[in-house]
Amino acid sequence: MIRLENITTEDFNALSFRIRGGSVYKVVTNSDYENRKLLNVILGLQRPEHGRVFLFDEEVYVLSEKELNRLFSRVGTVLKDGGLISNLKVWENIVLPAWYHTGKKPEDMEEKAIQKFKEAGIEISYLKELMGRLPGPLPFHEKKIIGLVRAMLMEPELMIYDSICEGLSPEMSDRLTKMTMDFHSEKSGRTSVYVTFDEQSVKNVKADTTLNL
Amino acid sequence: MTTTAQKIGRNIINAFKYLEGYYELLCYSIRNISLLRRAPIRSVFYKQIYFTGIEALSKVAAIGILIGIVIITQIVNLVGSNAVLTGKILIWTVVRELGPLFAAIIIIARSGTAISSELGSMKVNRETDSLRIMGINPFDYLIVPRVAGITVSVFILAFYFQVMAIAGGLAFTSIFMELPFLQHLKGIFSALRIFEVVVSLLKSLVFGLLISIVSCYQGFSVKSSITEIPQAATRAVMQSLFLVFIFDGIITLISFA
Repeated sequence: MIRLENITTEDFNALSFRIRGGSVYKVVTNSDYENRKLLNVILGLQRPEHGRVFLFDEEVYVLSEKELNRLFSRVGTVLKDGGLISNLKVWENIVLPAWYHTGKKPEDMEEKAIQKFKEAGIEISYLKELMGRLPGPLPFHEKKIIGLVRAMLMEPELMIYDSICEGLSPEMSDRLTKMTMDFHSEKSGRTSVYVTFDEQSVKNVKADTTLNL
Repeated sequence: MTTTAQKIGRNIINAFKYLEGYYELLCYSIRNISLLRRAPIRSVFYKQIYFTGIEALSKVAAIGILIGIVIITQIVNLVGSNAVLTGKILIWTVVRELGPLFAAIIIIARSGTAISSELGSMKVNRETDSLRIMGINPFDYLIVPRVAGITVSVFILAFYFQVMAIAGGLAFTSIFMELPFLQHLKGIFSALRIFEVVVSLLKSLVFGLLISIVSCYQGFSVKSSITEIPQAATRAVMQSLFLVFIFDGIITLISFA
């Protein structure tokens, strides 16, 4: 599913690992900075000096822009801060990737989105207000939840969680862990990768393999 | 002496780099204009028309009417109540020149800075990276609909400016100078040729493309520092103005010289 071969950058020296499809992985880095750099390399944002990166057995850094877009439409990434688009309202943020890639109408995604927000512990009475807001002033955990729901609506084969539970209350952390684990089991063959530098924060994630960098 | 020469040389090289970048962005936008068929991109296009075009209508109308009053007052002082001559001068000034030029200047001041700052801050906040990892090309989603939206807005606003300037000017003279409104309107229509309207619309189309390309390019040129955003906005305004005046001169020379 993900394969890194001899990746050398300013921050990594001949880094290699392989993540197999259908499993749950924890990738534990040494710092938040290293987290970001690793994700940049995997997600096609920073070309390594040496080495190759494969996603779904396709080499990321030789693909054209169009092929990359097709490839990443199969990946759901939940960034640490949600990775939301500041000039789009919350609802527009949530439906954007699914609307863009599948052509599904936003109103058809409403029911599923509400269900996911319920699972994340967001009050239904607050949801309507939340959907019409711009993401900038929202609290950290809400941005994270919005990013998570957005990725889930895409029904991706590969989910990558960047520090998903860091900085959250234990209750919220448990809720998100359960949500992501349930989501993993919803579709056979789905791969879930938890990238974090704080292993404790994902202690409740039942991973098949833990990779320590 | 060497330093001055070096500075001039560097500026010329930079200018060519910018022009090359603008040309590439223009070609990319034209090549991918069919992306507007996709609903999420079309929604950005509509929003851009709303923010750049519709929200500017009242300001363009107010400036158009004021300019129309100033020009027609000067014309009447110069030629008296000669309706045909008044119409001709009004067309020479408003339709041929001021309509597209003022609409472009208003859009540069209002939207050029906004777009370059918005795109610049999206780059700094790594929102363009967020789009990439969702499999959305930021050029397709952010640039193409903005270029199309701004161009359409400038095109329509220029025409609107001309109508407001002429109507406002004529209304003012008919109320305060007791000159017959309909007679002057007839004078304008008799002096108006389709060629002048076409050149005026062509100018606004070119200005719209220039403003949108320069603003988007400068916004996207921001890398990672927040201090680059105001610099990009300033460059967007100055270079848009400069290019608009250059192309205005070129089109006027080719069409009317």
